[in-house]
Amino acid sequence: MTARIELSAVSKRYRKYDDTARLGGRLGQLLTRTERSWLPALSDVDLTVHPGESVGVIGRNGAGKSTLLQLLCGVTAPTTGSVLVRGRVAPLISVGVGFHPEMTGRENVYVNGTILGMTRAEIDRRFDDVVAFAELESFIDTPVKFYSSGMFVRLGFAVAVEASPDVLLVDEVLAVGDFAFQVRCFERMNAIRAAGTTIVVVSHNMSSIRGFCDRALVLHGGRIALDGTTFDAIARYHDLGSRAAGQTTDPAGKLEVLDVALLAQGEVTGHARAGDEATFRLRVRALQDIAAPFLWLGIESGQGVVVYSEARINDPMAPLAAGEEATYEVRLPLDLPTGTYYGDIALHEVLGPGRSQLLGTGARQSFYVSGRGHVHGAADLRAAFSRTDVPA
Amino acid sequence: MVPDKTGASVRDAGTQFLLTGPGTPPRVLLRSLWEARTLVGVLARKDFFVRYRRTRLGLLWAIALPVVQAAVLAAVFSSLVSGVGAATGDRGTSYAVFVFAGMVPWAYFSAAFTAGATSVVDGANLAQRIYFPRLVLPLVAVTTALFPLVATLLVLLGLVVVLGPGLGLATLWVLPGAGLVMVVALGLALLFSAAQVYLRDLRFAVSAGMTVLFYLTPVIYPVTRAPEALRPVVELLPAAGPVELFRHAVGAAGPGLWRSVAASLVWAVVAGGVGFVVHCRRDRVLADLL
Repeated sequence: MTARIELSAVSKRYRKYDDTARLGGRLGQLLTRTERSWLPALSDVDLTVHPGESVGVIGRNGAGKSTLLQLLCGVTAPTTGSVLVRGRVAPLISVGVGFHPEMTGRENVYVNGTILGMTRAEIDRRFDDVVAFAELESFIDTPVKFYSSGMFVRLGFAVAVEASPDVLLVDEVLAVGDFAFQVRCFERMNAIRAAGTTIVVVSHNMSSIRGFCDRALVLHGGRIALDGTTFDAIARYHDLGSRAAGQTTDPAGKLEVLDVALLAQGEVTGHARAGDEATFRLRVRALQDIAAPFLWLGIESGQGVVVYSEARINDPMAPLAAGEEATYEVRLPLDLPTGTYYGDIALHEVLGPGRSQLLGTGARQSFYVSGRGHVHGAADLRAAFSRTDVPA
Repeated sequence: MVPDKTGASVRDAGTQFLLTGPGTPPRVLLRSLWEARTLVGVLARKDFFVRYRRTRLGLLWAIALPVVQAAVLAAVFSSLVSGVGAATGDRGTSYAVFVFAGMVPWAYFSAAFTAGATSVVDGANLAQRIYFPRLVLPLVAVTTALFPLVATLLVLLGLVVVLGPGLGLATLWVLPGAGLVMVVALGLALLFSAAQVYLRDLRFAVSAGMTVLFYLTPVIYPVTRAPEALRPVVELLPAAGPVELFRHAVGAAGPGLWRSVAASLVWAVVAGGVGFVVHCRRDRVLADLL
């Protein structure tokens, strides 16, 4: 089978340019070719994707995901190496690119379809399908500025999918639509994939990567850290995340955060199973005397729901002397359904009755929980299910 | 599939692409431009008609603006500068027709070139997300400005009928005039649209330059009224050729008509040629700098 996408030894660097608007400096630059600095976005990437495959791309911000997508849709060329893409590419990088608010849905479909490489006849033929999929029959002659953001995304998605691309590039955009529409998008993408379309999905939503892709890449620092099953990729992604030295904050200047880590089953990791005991560890050095420090822990789901948060303001720790180093741990069972979570551990100080001040917090720890099957919601409450009218 | 001397890259414009460098070979670029011709038309029509959406007078504005501009200039200059009105041609062309004949190609040149010069930078939103030859963007700008050109041309023909010298075979000179102004605007737009990506100062330099050019180019006065020393410069400016051709159509061309036409052609070919080469060599990386 001929591959749809072939990247070999692809590297992409961007030139850094400073934004100083000094005229003298500018003129100097015009005259002398100064040594320029380069920012590597992708390094030595090899990738082959076949028709009908759907590949997830995950990685932290700045890992090279967008650059990869830009190369795949031909908007930018590699600095070294070669990119080969066979067939028509439809980027869903930003749904509705080229949509003009003053134009009606109908006019925008024609403009957008042409941008995606469809002929007028093709658009005529598929127009009704586009409108039906977007469920915009009664709004198609309304200027799109009156559309809700959901309607906007639906129309953009419908055009891109109906353009029958050989390669569909999806970048996080589906997060905008409502749940029912997302489900239909995935069904539709599954259908065109079954018909041979290659799909590349970039997302921070691990559940949609897991639900839709059979293969995933982890990009880290511009390199492919892992190319394998989605499960392995997600685990690797979170491992990389929990080890990444993040920024720490110490707004009061009273202490220095030395280290923050998440451990599951005694190991530093970003991937745990439901019910594992997790430990959040915070190491600090006091810069001043701290009379009544106390710990705070918060866990938030990938959807932004606060799953748990507790401040031990009524139960402060022993005072810290200036220069003293301390290690704090918070231990808890991860009774959570499958998904991505964020954990924050912070040290505060009691200032008076009911008053406190944040002393320091480490980088937010992201982790992935492989939950028990068929458990959904904010927390896994481990309910006991039984029938009680019949004696056992 | 060997990288060629432009330092690059795309072999097959149609259904597949192979990228190994920043450029697109001229032949491939021309072919993908040909394939993008519908896109140019669709985008130009969109840009033009969207401009007048939600206005009460709609498309009338496309005509009203240049007419008002020309009327004001005609009124001011014919009363301030004595003798301008008299010296406009051997066929007794009225000053109003004389000025409007200059304004039609100038308004096009100004709109098409100004929009074309910034087209790649202004089209960043689209250009960074989906590939089409970046040359499409200046082409769209130049095409969009054709709509008001046609509208103002009709007004000019009306004036020629009402105020003289009347329609005749000579009137057909507006057609090569329109063709020439398109070519000049496109040529300069090709060059500036690519250069603008690297040197953002050009946006302001262009608008300053257009103000200077407006008064230097013989749009509102006959070439013969320019100071003797400046005349060679005035006659050889990019827009002088089309302006003079339009003047020729209303019987009021200056003595250096063909010199101006030749100069405009040279501008178009040189700027367009250099612009095309730059676009070929940087086609696939222009979006990086947007």
